[in-house]
Amino acid sequence: MTTRSLVVICGLLLLLISLSLAVSVGAVPVSTGTVWGILSNKVYPGLIEQTWSSGREAIVWEIRLPRALLAIMVGSGLAIVGASLQAVTRNTLADPHLLGISSGGAFGAILALLHTGMFIGLLTVPLLAFAGALLATIVVLGVVQLAEANSADRLVLAGVAVSFIIMAAANILIFLGDPRASHTVVFWMLGGLGLAQWSQLVYPLTILILCGAWLISRAKNLNAMTVGDETAATLGISVARFRLAVFIIGALITGVMVAFSGIIGFVGLMVPHIARMLVGGDYTRVLLASALIGAIFLLWADILARTLMAPEDMPIGIVTGLIGGVFFIWLLRRRR
Amino acid sequence: MKNIIIISLVTYLSAGPLFAESTVKSCNRTVTFEKPPERAVSNDVNLTEMMLVLGLADQMVGYTGISGWKTLDAEMRLGVKELPELSAKYPTKEVLVGADADFFFAGWNYGMKVGGEVTPETLKPFGIKVYELTESCSHIMDKQKASLEDMYNDILNLGKIFEVEDRAKALVANYKSELESFKANLKNTDERLRVFVYDSGEDAPFTAGRYAMPTALVEVSGGQNIMDDFYKSWGTVTWEEVVDRDPQVVVIVNYGDVTAEQKREYMMSNPAFKNISAIKNNRFVTLEYVEATPGPRNIKAVKKLADAFWAK
Repeated sequence: MTTRSLVVICGLLLLLISLSLAVSVGAVPVSTGTVWGILSNKVYPGLIEQTWSSGREAIVWEIRLPRALLAIMVGSGLAIVGASLQAVTRNTLADPHLLGISSGGAFGAILALLHTGMFIGLLTVPLLAFAGALLATIVVLGVVQLAEANSADRLVLAGVAVSFIIMAAANILIFLGDPRASHTVVFWMLGGLGLAQWSQLVYPLTILILCGAWLISRAKNLNAMTVGDETAATLGISVARFRLAVFIIGALITGVMVAFSGIIGFVGLMVPHIARMLVGGDYTRVLLASALIGAIFLLWADILARTLMAPEDMPIGIVTGLIGGVFFIWLLRRRR
Repeated sequence: MKNIIIISLVTYLSAGPLFAESTVKSCNRTVTFEKPPERAVSNDVNLTEMMLVLGLADQMVGYTGISGWKTLDAEMRLGVKELPELSAKYPTKEVLVGADADFFFAGWNYGMKVGGEVTPETLKPFGIKVYELTESCSHIMDKQKASLEDMYNDILNLGKIFEVEDRAKALVANYKSELESFKANLKNTDERLRVFVYDSGEDAPFTAGRYAMPTALVEVSGGQNIMDDFYKSWGTVTWEEVVDRDPQVVVIVNYGDVTAEQKREYMMSNPAFKNISAIKNNRFVTLEYVEATPGPRNIKAVKKLADAFWAK
């Protein structure tokens, strides 16, 4: 068995362990035996004699498991997007939230939370957030066309500019809204996986699989882009078009993840760095490693968010922000 | 044979009321209860107190959202002695489901956030029914100006849900007669005192607007909230408006770490406010948080306010 397959197996095992831990711990103590009993019974009904209350079963199956699955999807999604953007912009600080998409998502969510209310039921916030993200993407594309900002740096600038404008608009919405409800917005903006439920998991999953597969299939192009625009062009890649395509695909993934979990920072920024340190620069490996590491990282961040101040549920953005900051200091030291 | 039929019929008919379901209106939803909840949870001091005055402690499994922000006073501490606090702040789904709750008495920004993790819709799959505090409905639908009727409405509805209607009606009738006899002794004047409700905030004041309970309390006591044209429940206004409207009395809402005395000090010492009537005449009155939000202590609050407004 090659070292590579060993590493992959270890990674997957770590994911599985993290997942089972995520489902076992929480504000309400549920013994490991009960957790595995509940899960086994869901797969093979009647396998284990039921010694737990329906409340415990609901906690494990309806609250914790969808939450853990969402953590895996959001973690891997944001990490893959971060890695791809870092490749096409040749900017190691590129991150899914940099290019205006998340501000659009925030705008849509704030509109739903403070002004329109839940007029389409429970999907209102994710739907409006995703629509906001798409709108922001279109605006950035428009600015790119207008300013002919096709190069890597100029794309980043366009994204940052649009991000600021949309965030200002979102802040106006906050200002005009009910002040007492503004902490609802703060909690949404800091990110949280508390809204996860089975019926809604299909949306991030579908987009993650479709868009993730597209990105992984273009890994060779991403490799070329990291070297330089001219090199990539000589290899036959239409550089500007590819860059925009990656941006749009990244926007789709980011949009759907932000729609369901708010703005979770640092995952898209840090995880690709860690992945590159572990598996080198080849983007097929980087993307897959980022997805795996991102998933494990967010699972653990969620476990911490739920247990550090139990029974309170800390916004996950606080945990990722703290870890992110420390990581950066460490990165700075290393570069010396 | 005939006797058996008659006895069965009588038993069946008299058993009817035992199986009666109750239906109440909670904000813009209708909720039906096949039987009274047995594992209820309430959020925040005033809602918990409503449950306690109706004698429902035995049907509760706990409360939430109290020690996180406010200190319980001695009276309440006694009432909730036997019940666990499930969460110091707003509960998560896991906390409620973990307590095997079947009923949650909360309000918008009184335990639930619009679009948040805990709402009537998100709790429904777990079999937890929710009744929303009437005053808080203004966050999700159009509502009339706040009034004591909102509080009576909640007590009567809780009475219906828990099948203690007689107790609820008696309580409300009691509150109403107390207020009536008290209003009769009130100075009969057309003039209404201008009142400012100061909750918190130094750079900008957080106050009670049209849809918040203090507006109703101030009105019943013979005053008028200077911000009752502020079409919000609780919200932030500007000091400029306060200075402009020149309140004659300031009502301080007391809770949390900043004491009422500190709030009064702030207003008295700030030179921008020195020409406000209330400051010039040092007219302040303090309401506890549990008195200013909808609940059984509102009656006491009205008396406290009236004494302060019309003291000779």
